Amino acid sequence: MRFHSWILSFLLSFLYFSPLEAVWAEPAGGPSLVQEMADIKRMVAAMESHMEVLKSTVRAQNEIIERQNYRIEVFEKKQTSLSLQAATTQQTPPLSTAKANAGFNPDIGVVGTVQAKLTQNKSDEEGNNSIALKEFEVNLGQVVDPYSRFDATLTFNDALEEQNVEVEEAYYTRWGLPLGFTGQIGKFRADIGKANLLHAHALPTADYPLVIQNFFGEEGLASSGLRLKNNIPNPWDLPIEVSGEILRGNNGSSFAGVSRRPIFNTHLKTFFEPSADTNLELGWTTMFGTVNPSLTIDAGDGTTTEWTRPEGTDKYGVKLYGGDATFNWFLPEGKQVTWQNEIYFQNRSDSADSTNATPWGLYSLIEYKLSPRFKPGVRFDYVNPLEVSGQQGTTSVSPYLIFWQSEYADVKLQYSHTVYAGGEKTDNAAFFVVDFMAGNHKHAVQ
Amino acid sequence: MHTKKASIAFALVLSFLSVFSGVLFGAEKLNVVATTTTLASIAREVAQDKIRIEAIASPKQNIHHYAPTPKDVFRVKRADVFIHEGLDLEAWRQPLLDAAGNPRFLGEEKYSIDVSRGILLLEIPTTLSRAEGDIHAFGNPHYIGDPENAKIIASNIADGLANVDPENAAFYQKNASDFNGRLDAKIKDWETRMAGFQGAPVVTYHRSWSYFVKRFGLSVVGEVEPKPGIPPTAKHLAVLMQQIKDKKAKVIIKEYFEENRTPKKIAEETGVRVVNLSQAVGEPENAKDYLSLMGQNISLLEGALGEQKGGVL
Repeated sequence: MRFHSWILSFLLSFLYFSPLEAVWAEPAGGPSLVQEMADIKRMVAAMESHMEVLKSTVRAQNEIIERQNYRIEVFEKKQTSLSLQAATTQQTPPLSTAKANAGFNPDIGVVGTVQAKLTQNKSDEEGNNSIALKEFEVNLGQVVDPYSRFDATLTFNDALEEQNVEVEEAYYTRWGLPLGFTGQIGKFRADIGKANLLHAHALPTADYPLVIQNFFGEEGLASSGLRLKNNIPNPWDLPIEVSGEILRGNNGSSFAGVSRRPIFNTHLKTFFEPSADTNLELGWTTMFGTVNPSLTIDAGDGTTTEWTRPEGTDKYGVKLYGGDATFNWFLPEGKQVTWQNEIYFQNRSDSADSTNATPWGLYSLIEYKLSPRFKPGVRFDYVNPLEVSGQQGTTSVSPYLIFWQSEYADVKLQYSHTVYAGGEKTDNAAFFVVDFMAGNHKHAVQ
Repeated sequence: MHTKKASIAFALVLSFLSVFSGVLFGAEKLNVVATTTTLASIAREVAQDKIRIEAIASPKQNIHHYAPTPKDVFRVKRADVFIHEGLDLEAWRQPLLDAAGNPRFLGEEKYSIDVSRGILLLEIPTTLSRAEGDIHAFGNPHYIGDPENAKIIASNIADGLANVDPENAAFYQKNASDFNGRLDAKIKDWETRMAGFQGAPVVTYHRSWSYFVKRFGLSVVGEVEPKPGIPPTAKHLAVLMQQIKDKKAKVIIKEYFEENRTPKKIAEETGVRVVNLSQAVGEPENAKDYLSLMGQNISLLEGALGEQKGGVL
């Protein structure tokens, strides 16, 4: 008991005389203890806050690691399962082979285009007042080897009197030819201006411009052949791309329609960026082909006559020249104005009294993407057609609106007012088009 | 006679091409093309004057929907190295490579630097269906929004360039290390500044800020798009505005190229702030490099959240 009293006295004396007194005492002119305690509390609070951040970061990292581990586990299980299958079914390995080969299979995508059309023309002519599956495209494409790939578009349609299937494009591309050329062989859309390169669903309008329809066919010109293209080096560091094509002559309404009479086509294009928000693409097309020995001549009164050149076909009797200009203006918030123009002239040696030796035509299209969903536009067409000579050409105005439900589905509305060559016939038509796509679908860079 | 003339003309064309190829595509510097301005900026930090770098996509446009131009084809065709973000961020990447037909990027991986290697990906889908919108098969590709990932990107670029140009390997590695050091200091500063907003509820326009908000501890309570890449509908906006009110979201984060009309409408209804951030160097124009870009993002967000928090910016 006496011992405990002695210890207690000693501690009390220590506290009384110790430097702690100095801590408790407020030094003259220094911060008060309360102030210091408040500072310490703030520091602790800040450290706690940092600690929470760190804990949250660690938790997040753990979550990610757990998920990645789970994925690795699943992947390893699949691999093990595949290995076991391969090991246990060596005699019949189709499942594992199929899985292994899946990566080498072509990418597949589909695009559907359904078009409803109301026309002023009340005749029962195909295409008037109808709804039809205009196209159902199946797109295939895959790298063939380190030097080449293939792309194909098979089109099914219900738009004609009978359903049919067409190979719209199927071509093989070989990169890295001498001097940097790229070669393509197969059936492809001819490198003519801008619109002809696009598949129907990629057009902003419900139909191809009239000059394209009249000179190359309702769906433009696609033909079997060979294409070489390259960029031309130049001292101005400008992108100047040239392509040359030899096409089978059985397609394109301006030409012979005879396979052994080829069409020669070259396209030259360049590109400028006048400012950070604008660009301008200019192109020039030159084509030579054989004239069609047999012509259907529209007399203008609803009757037609067949006319055949007495001297047969004229090799390179069709010379076609064209220019294209596309201006893009990129505005804030993803808005965009596009102004696209194409003009084509022909010089033909097959003119007769009722045919046109110098048909020509153009279109001018301007559109404004005003939001992620809506893009209104208008296309003006003029064509002095192949079939009619010496009269005023066909003129058409087509305002349209595109509505995107998503990147993969859109609706197009279009009205077209057309005054046909001669000015006697007019037509008003309304189009309602639905495009939908699924799978792997990528457009080639134009 | 004609054959002789044709041969002379062919020889002249060959000479012309050879001469200009040599002049224009001189071998003293590597011609590097990056798919985005941000990658180009980081590559510039790593390689400095050893490369001639060009970016493809405009920083003012949505990276998913960029349409490559003939100039881009020209750039890729003559490039020695192609730097890209991998995954499926640049949906136009393969068509561009196909159009350019530069064999370096088609058969060999050596010259094509995928900077996504080593990145921990978020939002990897367990099932693939377009019913979920424009989802990305490999995971969310907007990883560049997390500055920690920029360090991985810089290291990947240094490794890739060192592989192509081993003589300057040490130079690239040192620069990447310096860049990562500067980035570390900045990250510390940005995290300190954002520490006061831990768990702050925010809304994003597109699912392009997942990495950013995770890094800085924000909480996403909704998106303006009902599903990735799907434009907003009236029904979705009504639900979103209720969520904003219920969860007291403070800010809508959008990018400059995304439309303003819908976020403004939401702001008017709910009092939430709309703030434009960017992941592309050059948008806005004074975001000259990755550090200044992210610095501006932090300042703008700090200001917007701070204003809501204290009522005074």
